[in-house]
Amino acid sequence: MFPYRGYAGKWLYVDLTAGKVEVREYDPELAQGYLGGNGFGTRLLWEHVGPEVDALAPESLLIFATGPLCGTLVPNAGRVEVIAKSPLTGIYGDANAGGFFGPELKFAGWDAIVVRGRSPSPVYLAVQDDRVELRDAGVLWGHTTSETEAAIRRAWDDPQVKTATIGPAGENGVRFASIQMTPQRSAGRCGMGTVMGSKGLKAVAVRGRGPIYVADLARFHELAVELHLRLRANPVFPAVSAYGTPGIVSLMDPLGRFPTKNFQMGSFPEVDKINAEALQNRALVRHLSCFGCPIGCDKLYSLPDGPYAGTSLRSVEYETLNAMGANVWSADLDAILAANRLCDDMGLDTISAGRAIGFAMELWEKEILNLDETGGLALRWGDVDVLLRLLGMIARREGFGNLLAEGMRQAAQVIGRGAEQYAMHVKGMEIAAQDGRAQKSMGLAHATSNRGADHLKAFPVIDETGYPDEARRRYGEECLPEMAQPLAIKHKPFLVKDGEDFGAVVDSVGVCKSGGTFVLAEIYWPDIAAAVEAATGMDMPVKRLKRIGERIYNLQRCYNAVHGITRADDRLPRRFTEEPSPSGNAAGQIVELEPMLEEYYQLREWDPETGWPTAEKLRQLGLEDAIERLDL
Amino acid sequence: MYLEIQAQKCTGCRICENFCSFHHEGVIWPQRSRVTILAQGDNGPFVPNVCRQCEDAPCALACPVGAITLHEPTEAWVVDVEECVGCGACVEACPFDAIFLDGERGGSLKCDLCRGEPECAAMCPTGAIREVV
Repeated sequence: MFPYRGYAGKWLYVDLTAGKVEVREYDPELAQGYLGGNGFGTRLLWEHVGPEVDALAPESLLIFATGPLCGTLVPNAGRVEVIAKSPLTGIYGDANAGGFFGPELKFAGWDAIVVRGRSPSPVYLAVQDDRVELRDAGVLWGHTTSETEAAIRRAWDDPQVKTATIGPAGENGVRFASIQMTPQRSAGRCGMGTVMGSKGLKAVAVRGRGPIYVADLARFHELAVELHLRLRANPVFPAVSAYGTPGIVSLMDPLGRFPTKNFQMGSFPEVDKINAEALQNRALVRHLSCFGCPIGCDKLYSLPDGPYAGTSLRSVEYETLNAMGANVWSADLDAILAANRLCDDMGLDTISAGRAIGFAMELWEKEILNLDETGGLALRWGDVDVLLRLLGMIARREGFGNLLAEGMRQAAQVIGRGAEQYAMHVKGMEIAAQDGRAQKSMGLAHATSNRGADHLKAFPVIDETGYPDEARRRYGEECLPEMAQPLAIKHKPFLVKDGEDFGAVVDSVGVCKSGGTFVLAEIYWPDIAAAVEAATGMDMPVKRLKRIGERIYNLQRCYNAVHGITRADDRLPRRFTEEPSPSGNAAGQIVELEPMLEEYYQLREWDPETGWPTAEKLRQLGLEDAIERLDL
Repeated sequence: MYLEIQAQKCTGCRICENFCSFHHEGVIWPQRSRVTILAQGDNGPFVPNVCRQCEDAPCALACPVGAITLHEPTEAWVVDVEECVGCGACVEACPFDAIFLDGERGGSLKCDLCRGEPECAAMCPTGAIREVV
């Protein structure tokens, strides 16, 4: 009997090669050491998917994992992690989605689903509480994510079914394919949809009608209420609630932090046409929320007229407004929404897809690409017809789209002729709309993140626009003023390390980083520790929780180390370290990466030569098996 | 006391269902929530549906064993689970679909205004469900 509440206490092991589904008991030691979600997936990947396994081989694992707070009363506890070796980067990969899929899985009585093998023909996994089976998905293959979800709901005659589906991009092996989860939320990054497609798994459909138990009812209720009320009183709450992530478009632009033309600039002259006000005036229908979220940063948008009239979608985020807008020198808001909808339907990560096209447009500008190579497409800045056409070509792996579908790093290598210097990626991962020159902590975060360039692992929000009050509360008066200054490098290695460790925990318990933990900077270590304790019944002092975060992050680093990653890979594109930003507050700035990295390794107690955790550090974290595998 | 619904403010977050079920069942169990979000698809519009605490409660009138009675201090109609025989007459009688049969235990479930401190209203972040005294 599983000793902890908050968990369902069991998970599903799906062998697609054999067409079998098995029930597995949740290991209490795994829960104690890794919590769930991100930690659960990291541990399984470490144990079962070594360097000899290609990300898209049948032996590769695809892991959907919730955490002990997912589906509970804690605010914005609706997140689910997807973990697999990334076919885009070849190293540790994960993606995280909000919405309702994760909680539904818990209500069905499952903490996680681990998928291995490859089905001889397309299938989907049907989970109706404790009835679980693989079903034929032949008729669904080739269809968009929204069509697939609708078809399964029709077949089950139940509009409450929650799905995780791939689109044509995942089926066709586009290396940055997403998994779309009810309702139109994306597990976008690292090509998790590509892994799903390689297994012949079109969808996971879940309907759960059971309860989630917690250990200490009175304490858990009191904590949950307190956290809800604190979020609602947070000074940032009204803006995030009203505008969601698009609200930061107007904040980032004057900072020179709004990447334009593939990071050539950090401000976009026509930003007012694609900011939150413009978006809401043009297309807002209503405000929406994910499961259990009092903030409700999500919105439904619909285009009433124009060339894309009738386009209706939710989850239009800051990242997509940039990737499909300023990044490709376009202020055509309608086209951004059309591109967003197309990506969601095709199952494409809007960030990597938009970045790949921005990169190609810069190569066109620099005359590195010609019409022969692009198949007759002139990749002019701001041409939204080309943008939309290319997205479709990427998803179908047609013509020039087939090259971009390999990801920016690979495309640059194939093109050659100096294309690499314009490829804005780290470890093969396209950089999101987060210019490190305008926020130094973000520069470091891109270099150190375990899934390649990434704003969401460390998620250093404190110095993004400057949160001095939150900085003081979290790190003490002595960290000011630098901690809240975007251009200062002092204290930032600590901010990044703390964010990486805390983020690993947040992604392991199943709550949202865009909610109370990072964007509002309201919920922190003591709050999560108390909530985990009350929900699960585990003894969870803050010190122990921090050790878990560190353990997960270090094990991911070890995973990357056995895949050949060293300090030499913790670097940034030349544009960030040598080309001063021309824009806004960041004018004249570069990322001073080396001094920050040096301090970061010290704080992490990693070997500064290799960038690997030391044997002593690993022993401290109870990762003796990693010492052996890294031969330390 | 009654609960006032302003449906246009509902974002479909289901905080009301989660807290309702926790209050009544001690678990998070939307399936057993007394308040239900009715939705036209994932993106709404949404309508929180909950007992209106009618003055001439059809559910109480329909109950053959008198298991639904008025709790004077809160003016909430409350099901006595010991008396309830699970016949479903109240479910048939309710014009608002705001009373349900508990499939497992056989009794009927309805809002009792949490005996005076309705959790759904306290926790609704948008004011879509408000307590009116």
